[in-house]
This record gives sequence, structure tokens and C-alpha cells, in this order.
Amino acid sequence: MAENGESSGPPRPSRGPASAQGPASAPAEPKIIKVTVKTPKEKEEFAVPENSSVQQFKEAISKRFKSQTDQLVLIFAGKILKDQDTLIQHGIHDGLTVHLVIKSQNRPQGQSTQPSNAAGTNTTSPSTPRNNSTPLSTNSNPFGLGSLGGLAGLSSLGLSSTNFSELQNQMQQQLLSSPEMMIQIMENPFVQSMLSNPDLMRQLIMANPQMQQLIQRNPEISHLLNNPDIMRQTLEIARNPAMMQEMMRNQDLALSNLESIPGGYNALRRMYTDIQEPMLNAAQEQFGGNPFASVGSSSSSGEGTQPSRTENRDPLPNPWAPPPATQSSATTSTTSSSGSGSGSGSSSTSATGNTVAAANYVASIFSTPGMQSLLQQITENPQLIQNMLSAPYMRSMMQSLSQNPDLAAQMMLNSPVFTANPQLQEQMRPQLPAFLQQMQNPDTLSAMSNPRAMQALMQIQQGLQTLATEAPGLIPSFAPGVGVGVLGTAIGPVGPVTPIGPIGPIVPFTPIGPIGPIGPTGPAGPPGSTGSGGPPGPTISSSAPSETTSPISESGPNQQFIQQMVQALAGANPPQLPNPEVRFQQQLEQLNAMGFLNREANLQALIATGGDINAAIERLLGSQPS
Amino acid sequence: MEPPNLYPVKLYVYDLSKGLARRLSPIMLGKQLEGIWHTSIVVHKDEFFFGSGGISSCPPGGTLLGPPDSVVDVGSTEVTEEIFLEYLSSLGESLFRGEAYNLFEHNCNTFSNEVAQFLTGRKIPSYITDLPSEVLSTTGGGLDGVGLKQKMAGEDMNLGVRNLRERMSTVSSITA
Repeated sequence: MAENGESSGPPRPSRGPASAQGPASAPAEPKIIKVTVKTPKEKEEFAVPENSSVQQFKEAISKRFKSQTDQLVLIFAGKILKDQDTLIQHGIHDGLTVHLVIKSQNRPQGQSTQPSNAAGTNTTSPSTPRNNSTPLSTNSNPFGLGSLGGLAGLSSLGLSSTNFSELQNQMQQQLLSSPEMMIQIMENPFVQSMLSNPDLMRQLIMANPQMQQLIQRNPEISHLLNNPDIMRQTLEIARNPAMMQEMMRNQDLALSNLESIPGGYNALRRMYTDIQEPMLNAAQEQFGGNPFASVGSSSSSGEGTQPSRTENRDPLPNPWAPPPATQSSATTSTTSSSGSGSGSGSSSTSATGNTVAAANYVASIFSTPGMQSLLQQITENPQLIQNMLSAPYMRSMMQSLSQNPDLAAQMMLNSPVFTANPQLQEQMRPQLPAFLQQMQNPDTLSAMSNPRAMQALMQIQQGLQTLATEAPGLIPSFAPGVGVGVLGTAIGPVGPVTPIGPIGPIVPFTPIGPIGPIGPTGPAGPPGSTGSGGPPGPTISSSAPSETTSPISESGPNQQFIQQMVQALAGANPPQLPNPEVRFQQQLEQLNAMGFLNREANLQALIATGGDINAAIERLLGSQPS
Repeated sequence: MEPPNLYPVKLYVYDLSKGLARRLSPIMLGKQLEGIWHTSIVVHKDEFFFGSGGISSCPPGGTLLGPPDSVVDVGSTEVTEEIFLEYLSSLGESLFRGEAYNLFEHNCNTFSNEVAQFLTGRKIPSYITDLPSEVLSTTGGGLDGVGLKQKMAGEDMNLGVRNLRERMSTVSSITA
């Protein structure tokens, strides 16, 4: 009948000849199909008989791509095509695309690390044979050693960037994020032997520019590094991932316990400082690194602010920090040496500590410029402060402190500042309980988180200090008790004070802060008694909060005087005084939200109380603020 | 022959605008966009994506963007990790070099699509790959400024943060 009798079925496209390969003319309709073979680099079209096997297909491909058939890996629809399969079996029809990966022959088993440091080359350049060289900087390969200062070098690098350092980073990151790999590395005897050599480790660490930066900012770290005991301990911890994990777990556990047990004050303190230190380091590291960091990881920078928080909220410089630091000075050192916070796990272990030593240690860390900038950034972000303040353990700490005035007194007195000025100590003592009370006042907390308020406070402080220098006559009217009394005053917002200008870091360091404020405080104390040395000026203002000449203060006469001072200050800078309505915008909104709809009255109350919402509310309700 | 292993392939989808595009696009562009999508492919317990720094990888959900806004199951693949990495190597040298990155024409989604097809034969959802043309087809293209910058920022941020994290982990690894 019809010509097409021979082969039943659809008309075939060109038979045999046209197609380059294909043993065509196979008995069962060797329909030739066009299949596209796509490699990462190129794409070619092949015409093959429909029923050919993958093996045959590969042979054709190998000729075109100039590779050997066993180097070819064909993939279709997620399946790897095996030689004995047929194209039909996989549903490869005309016009479809099959993916091809060409393996390079010279790839050893799993790519061992090649000790060539600058293997960098990679990428682009070599085409096929080389292109598979290394895995995408992923696990599977123990580049491990690369992370240790690029020692053992990075085995090639295959993809993406020609930027060697970026590749290195990638690999390191891969490495570090893959626990199995870490384990592999740690167990590598070479690594272990290296780790157990403190000198070598120290060299390695010092050689890292980032570390060097860190060390510059934190001289203590270099002390740590030079202390063989600590190094050994750290190395041991580092060497034993299990131990490290254990410690971190302990740390986490302890912390969570602490949060739920307000009473665990001591432990809290210890923990707190332990966190402070490594966080400080981490935060500083971050600041030196990339602005993104502080944005991205608010938690750690938040933690880093803790030290600042401490300073901030209370006039007493670091009262908490030094004593708690004691407990774990050894630990903290270890932790700081283990870098960003992760090492804080070790805190749970050690316990020793020489109070003063630790205190100084901590204080000096706070006084680094890094800390300052950190604090500044932190304070510019009220949210962080708020978060920190509301940290449960912060509250419990303050609570315990207030319940135990002796303890608080102890801490304060141990602060390096006070040690230089016993008189101040005496003065501070009685003020402590009231002080702590203040601390707990939520008002205080909200004021703390209001950067403007803090700034204002600092300005006051500065102003008073200047006043003390310029017009010492006024000062004597400050009974010594006043100064101290002021310290005890609520740290409420200082409404009327107008921002005289940028103040700088709010609480750079407590160590000096608290006393400072009204300078005069002490007898003949130099204005702004920076107490025992320490950064002048700004630091003093830092303690501003403490003094806060907020209308809400405990001692009557002090309060009045301070109010006068504030008025004077305010009066002295009318032009800069922003519209109270603007200044109290936030408070007004809050009052509104609470149901006080009389804007005028609210404003009045706010002005009278200096922006203190609680007091304003009381005023509005008809009672006088205490 | 024993059945080959099947590895699941997932597409992680992130909205770089974090919901802003959904809200603002009608105003700025005149049409509703659900998001500015950034995607990555997750296979063999790793997340792979393409940015101005080339092809990169990290643990799943390990970028600054955090966990994905949605996860699409692309399918499964027999391709082993070894082969996959070689494939990526060559991709990275040819089609997906860092400098080849183009926000509209050749971005992370292009890469994800390519890889998804390689691994499973399937493409990624079209609403993702159509995004550039959607945006480009609007007249004002106001979102160009916002959304695209966001996307670029997102890509760069990813890489920037990744670099940063690597640096930090370098330090911690050295000191730890």
C-alpha cells in the first residue's frame, strides 16, 4: 500500500545520514531526535536515534566535547543517566535538554588540601579539565587548617570569585559552620599538636590583623595571650570541641536559670560580667568590622552595651562591674581570649578572681575608645538600651542590690574611683539605698532609654562642672551632702534642660562618672571631681544621669537647689530651648494614649515635672509628685 | 543496580522588602508586586546563591536574611554533591561569574532557575523569574529606586554580611 509500509509509525525525519552519529537504521524506527546537551559553559545540539543508549550518546558527546566518556555525567530531570540506560527510558524526546557535567580526571579522591597557600588561581582561567577541580568551597574537604591563619593553605577554589581572600573567607565560613568539619579539623593530629603549642598559637593569633586590631583596642588581650596558663586553658578548650560545647551549654543553661531565679544574684553578677567582657570584645570587633554587624546582630551589640548600661544608670561607676568581675577574672580573661562571646561558656568553670585586679581590668576595658564609640552608638539606639534594661536579670540584679545595701555599698566602694577618695565613699554610703531605689524606678529606666534625656543630663553635668570652675562661689552652697544627695536623686528625665550641644558618649565609663557630677561634691574636689583621675570632661558628664537634677529627688533642699540650677541653665539657653511641645512630643503621645486628652494640661504637667511621665500623671491627677 | 539516592532540592525564597513591596508597590509602580524576591537553592544541606561576588554557599538559612520567607519544593535529584559542586564550579567560571551579575537580567533568581533545572529538570515558580520584567514594564518604575536598591542591597548585604561573619569567625576560630 502506501510507501510508508515499511515502518509503521510517524514519518521519520532524515534517516541515518543527516545525523552525525547514531548507528541509525536500527530495526525499530530509529527516529532521530535532536537533543540539546548543555554544559555550564556551552550548549550543543545532537541528533541521535531515539532508541540509542546513553553509552552511545556519550560517545557522540565525547567526540564533540573532546573528553572521555567516563568523564561525562549526563543529567536529565534530576536523574543521572547511566550508560546502560536508553534515552527513551528517561523520557528524553526531541527538543529536550540534557545537562552535562564533565569531570576532570586529575581530581584525587575527595580533594585533599593542597598545601599551596596561594592556590587562589582557580576560577575563570582553565576551562574544562580544570573546571571541576574543587568543590564549591563547601564542606567535604578539610580545608580546616586554612582557618588557622591560612596555615595549611587552601586547596583550590573552584568557583565564583577570583578574589582569593573572599574564597578563603567562604571556606572558612563553611568550615566553621559545619560541625563535622570542625571536628575533623580538631582531631587532625597536626592541628592538635599545633594547638598545644602555646607559643605557636600566640604567634598565629598575633599575626592575624583582626586580632591585632582587637589587641590594640584591648591591651588586656595581649596580656592574656602572654599568660601561658590562660593560653593553655584556652587551647585546651579550643582543642576539645566537646568541651567547648559543653561549656557553652552550661553557660546557656546557667543564664536561663538565672533569669528565672531572681535570687541568684551572685551567679548573676558573675555571669553578667562574664558576658560583658566577651561581648565587649565582640562588639568592638564588630565596630571595627562592618556597620552591618551592629545592625544585624543587635543582640550582641546589645549585650555589649551592658557595661555601658551599668554606667549609665547609676552614678556609681561600674559599681557592679568590678566586684563581679572579680569572681571570674580568670574566666573572663579566658572568655575574652576565646573571642566573641562564645567563650563565655568558660565562665561557669573558673571562679577565682582578685577583685581589684578584675575591677581595674574591666574598667580599663571600658575606657578604651572602642568602648566609647560602642557606647555612643548604643545610646543612640534607644531600643537597645530599652532591651537591655528590660533584661530580666538586669532587673533582678538591681533588685537584689537594692535589697542588700551593704553589698551595693561594697561594690561601689570597690570601684577604682572611690578607692582614691575615701571621703566620697563615706558620702556615697548613705545614699546607696535611696540610689538603688531610684534604679528600680521604671521612670529611671525609661529615662535611661531616652537618649535625649541622657544627653540632657550629661549637659547638666557638664554645665555644673563648668559652673564649678567658673563660679566657685556658687559651689560652696552645695553642701557636700548635696552633691551626694543629688546623686541619690531620681534619675528622671531632665526636661527643662536644653541640649546645649552634643554631649558625646553618654556613659563612657562609670568608673569616674558618678561622683563627678556636681563636681564640688567633695570638699574642694576639683570641679567635676573626676575623682581618681580618669578621663575628664565627658566622663563626668556621663554620670550626669545620676545627678540628674531631676525635680524628683529625694532630699528636699537638694532638690530645690538643683531645680534652681536647672532653671538657670535652662534660662541661660533660651534660644536653644526647643519648643516644649516638641520636646515632650513623645511623652505627650504617651499621655494621650493613657487617656489624658487635655493637651494643654499635659504639657504643663510635663514641663513642671521635666518630662517625667509618671510625675506628670500624678500631677494631672491632682497629687503632687513626691 | 541499586536505586540511586535521591536528594531533595528546595528553593528558599526571601522577600527582600520584608513586606514593603506588597504595601507600596501599588502606589509606586501602579501594579501589585508581592515582594522583591531573592532565592537560593538548597540541596545537600547547603544553600547556594548567586550575587555580585559570584556563587556562594552557606548553611541553609545562614544568610543575614535569616530563615526564608517561603520554601518551595523543587523536587529531587540524583545528582551527587560531588557532581553538583563540579557543576557549580564550571558555572561559576562561565555563566555565573561575580561580574556577570545584573540586577535584572542575570541575578540570583536566574541562577536558582538554572540550577533547579539542572538538578531536577524543573524551573522555579514564574512569579519569581518574572519579577524584573514586571518591574521594568511599569512606567514610573518608582519602585526601581526603592525595591531594586533593596534587592541589590540585599544581595550585597548578603555578601557583605557573609564576609563579615567570616571575618569574625576567623577571629573566633583563631582565638578559640
